[in-house]
Amino acid sequence: MRIFRIARISWTIGFSGAGSWRNLLAGLLLLTLPALLTGCGLQKDVDVELPAEPAQLVVECYLENGKAPELTVSETVPYLSAPAPTVLTDVTVTLTGPTGRVETLLFRPGRNLVTRKFYTHRGLRPLRIQPGDTWQLSVKDTKGRVVTGAATMPATVPLDAVEWRFNDRPADERRALVTVKFQDPPGVGDYYRFQIHRDSISGAREVDYNPDDRLLDGQLITLGTSYEFEPDDTLFVTLYHLDRPYARFLQSVDDAQSANGNPFGQPAAVQSTVQGGIGVFTILNYQRRQIIVR
Amino acid sequence: MRFSSFRAALALLLLLLAPLSLLAQVQYLLRGTVRGTDGSALPGANVAVPATGLGTATDADGRYELRLPAGRHRVVASFIGYKTATEDLNLRANQRLDLVLGAGNELQEVVIEGSGTLEQKLQTTQMGVERLSAREAKLLPALFGEVDILKTLQLKPGVQNGGEGTSGLFVRGGSADQNLFLVDDAVVYNPNHLFGLFSTFNSDVVQSVDLYKSGFPAQYGGRLSSVVDVKLREGSRDSAGVSGGIGLISSRLAVETPIAKGKGSILLAGRRTYFDVFTRQINKLNKDTKDYNPIPDYYFYDLNLKANYQLTDKDQVFLSGYFGNDVFGFNSTRGFNFDFHWGNRSATARWSHVFSPKLFTNSTATWSYYTYNIANKLDQFSFGLGSNIRDWNLRSDWEWRPNDKHIIRFGGSGTLHHFGVGRLQANGGSFNIGQNVEYDGLEGGLYAADNFTVNDKLALDYGLRLTGFQSGTNEYGGLEPRAAARYSLTPRLSVKASYALMYQYVHLVTNSGASLPTDIWYPSRLSVKPQRSQQVSTGFSWLIGSGQFLLTDEVYYKWAQRQIDFRDGAQLFVNPELDQEFLFGRGWAYGNEIYLEKKQGKTTGWLGYTLAWTKREFEPQRGTTGINGGRAFFPTYDRRHNLTLVVLHKLNKRVNLTSSFVYTSGNPTTLPTARIGVQDVYGGELQAVPIYPDRNSFRLPSYHRLDLGVVYKLKPWRKIGGESDLTLSIYNAYNRRNPYFIYIDEVKNEETGLPERYRARQVSLFPVIPSLTYNFKF
Repeated sequence: MRIFRIARISWTIGFSGAGSWRNLLAGLLLLTLPALLTGCGLQKDVDVELPAEPAQLVVECYLENGKAPELTVSETVPYLSAPAPTVLTDVTVTLTGPTGRVETLLFRPGRNLVTRKFYTHRGLRPLRIQPGDTWQLSVKDTKGRVVTGAATMPATVPLDAVEWRFNDRPADERRALVTVKFQDPPGVGDYYRFQIHRDSISGAREVDYNPDDRLLDGQLITLGTSYEFEPDDTLFVTLYHLDRPYARFLQSVDDAQSANGNPFGQPAAVQSTVQGGIGVFTILNYQRRQIIVR
Repeated sequence: MRFSSFRAALALLLLLLAPLSLLAQVQYLLRGTVRGTDGSALPGANVAVPATGLGTATDADGRYELRLPAGRHRVVASFIGYKTATEDLNLRANQRLDLVLGAGNELQEVVIEGSGTLEQKLQTTQMGVERLSAREAKLLPALFGEVDILKTLQLKPGVQNGGEGTSGLFVRGGSADQNLFLVDDAVVYNPNHLFGLFSTFNSDVVQSVDLYKSGFPAQYGGRLSSVVDVKLREGSRDSAGVSGGIGLISSRLAVETPIAKGKGSILLAGRRTYFDVFTRQINKLNKDTKDYNPIPDYYFYDLNLKANYQLTDKDQVFLSGYFGNDVFGFNSTRGFNFDFHWGNRSATARWSHVFSPKLFTNSTATWSYYTYNIANKLDQFSFGLGSNIRDWNLRSDWEWRPNDKHIIRFGGSGTLHHFGVGRLQANGGSFNIGQNVEYDGLEGGLYAADNFTVNDKLALDYGLRLTGFQSGTNEYGGLEPRAAARYSLTPRLSVKASYALMYQYVHLVTNSGASLPTDIWYPSRLSVKPQRSQQVSTGFSWLIGSGQFLLTDEVYYKWAQRQIDFRDGAQLFVNPELDQEFLFGRGWAYGNEIYLEKKQGKTTGWLGYTLAWTKREFEPQRGTTGINGGRAFFPTYDRRHNLTLVVLHKLNKRVNLTSSFVYTSGNPTTLPTARIGVQDVYGGELQAVPIYPDRNSFRLPSYHRLDLGVVYKLKPWRKIGGESDLTLSIYNAYNRRNPYFIYIDEVKNEETGLPERYRARQVSLFPVIPSLTYNFKF
């Protein structure tokens, strides 16, 4: 699927950051060089001594209107250490709403069966959040580490149309593309995330990219896929309207991952939306349609 | 300084010329040209009168001038690859003496330069300059057998490469965009093919390359760190000829012919790679294989044209042109098409006029163009992306020698730049996006300089360059003083010092460590002010071992302001507000370069050692923490130690043995020290996201490599007067696995698919690579 990955990267060039651009070039080289690198034994394991940095708190929290808040807190680990799930038991988490009311999230590690996501802290009741509302986050542990953050719910951007169209290939090669249309609000600085899941919202993402309105401000924007869906596929098409800090966080995570192993890349720091640690605290606002292409 | 100050600055410039000494001595002027037997002018040839210790080098048109006492003299002229010419004369008046050098072994020449060459290097005020002839480069072993003059320059002290096998230059702590590449006076914006693995300079048509690292002559400007002045050779004025070579990855062919009964000549040369010929066949064989991904098409080609014509005894015109392209194409069986073209074009027209033996001038018009275009198509969607830069340049250069103590150079130039910073065209079933970001810029420069031989011991070279740049309503300018001095402690030992200030008005938009074809040039405008650097250097040159060796030591310190980098996640493409993505900082570099060279005898070569430091600092700004939290860091091209040893040995008339050895400290790089787990909005797979520490806080293992070469001259083709050779190159002879980069790899459990451990992996690029090239000439 590398080819389609490159295709999608090139599709997003006009909209996303420099990281994708480097990905494309790295992709081009990777198309040409793998035989040289692997065939001649030009890769090998090496011992490197990476300096140990003090562990920082890592938080991940996405609020949604009408849902109980869930938050995952962990900490940074040395890169070369073995994967071993550790749960921090001494962390207290509070949310403060626009009215000043404080919600305490309890330490109740578990897994959300809908999102299949693990969390460490959970609120007791669903939150009522309107576009424009700002919520505050505070995360503290007994070692004195404190992470704070604030997030404002972005405005709702309705989906004007979700459409699909099949190609003209023979029946066994018949595939559909999907497009969504929406009206970008006036003023540059709107960030989106376009996702398509097949069958289940918690399954693997078939399409996932993050355009912005830098070149299309105030216009009717169309986002699309290649011909990649089979007849009778059930698809969940989602368009998120993101705030800028969350969009930067997403881009920086992508850049950070791309820089590892890319000789042309510059190391990119993760642009956290929180202070005092690493991670993301944001309020989601998305539109979703379920379609069956046939 | 604004343009309005031009007049005052011009007056200052002219004042420089005022204190000229007009003292004359009872001497006569000997002048003329040095040409090969084929009539081609030989720039950089040595003309000397050994008995007097006087000597000089020919200029770009092969002209020389020597002021000698009256009497009998033996004049010796020499040039790499040509037989030495000797003429005796009795000088009783100003006299013209044209020298013709017989052809040496064109294809397999051991480097033999006239004895005066090292003496010239001892005597000159110019510091930090390396002159290289294509013949030298051709002898040395090369990657894939592709002779590359820029890679040969990397073997000189103070010059670093941009990575294994690449032809990028990083000179004395300067970044890749701070080098001015000139081919017959036309700027080359991207001198690379294939992501920097090969340079655009076809060694078949290169006459010589001058690399200036410090003490920049006043006629050069526009870049902070170096000038790489490439001169193409002229075709034969004597007889038509064909030369070429067949190599592992490319072939070359050059055709030259005299015109107008030997009054001029035309040289046309080309080369092309042929990976694509093989990959297309492989694709053809596999086209029916299920899930087969075709190998992308790739090739590059170069075309060079050089013509010259002697209008009169005092007038010559030259035309020079370059056209080169890289072509990368990919057509998948699944409907994805990708075409990527990039390349340079340039043209030069020059008129050389000699007013008198004391005054001559060159008037030059050049045009340069660099462009890249990407077109891709996937189903109903298509994209076109591109960027370009185009220059029109006019310049006038004058040289006046009022007496034997002064050589005065002055002139000016004007360049009209057009920056096609970004172009995007996107089409889909229901949308059409077009975006174009373009700017114009006007760059001008005036200069005057005096090379003043005060006495036998002291020589000075001082000058001033006045430059300006305008883009829209933004105007910038500056004075660039240049100075150099040489003092001879003994006839064999000179001490030297130099100072230069440089401005750079155009900037390369790149945030990768390597030179890529997608790099964009951007003018000084809005918040992007001109880059500026100053450099002081001092050292000595010592002729040792009966004059066979020259030992040079130079210490330098360079400091630069308004250096450019980018904020994390910068949007560099088609951004009308690109200037907002820049971050500005400072840089400094210092070091010591030791260079021992031998140019005479059967065994020649050089030994160079550089001890150097380079640092950059970008403080918090524009709502960011700067780069590296505002702390100074080593850029990727910082190398603490760099040792090069080049040996060329003429075994017999037919066989030349060559070798080069390189050792450098590992380059700084950034490895992630920590990781975090990110689940995203919906769980599933936990992503390991790297957290990076200070930039470039880790060093790769050291780099070392030995290359070996043999040039074997085959029997000449007597009937047609032709000759040929076989050149064997062994790159990385002891198969060292040099680090290209290191990354952290996640090892997953095959059954569960979960991460099991993490490991560091080192990637090397080139193992031992032997190659054979067949070269011919008739």
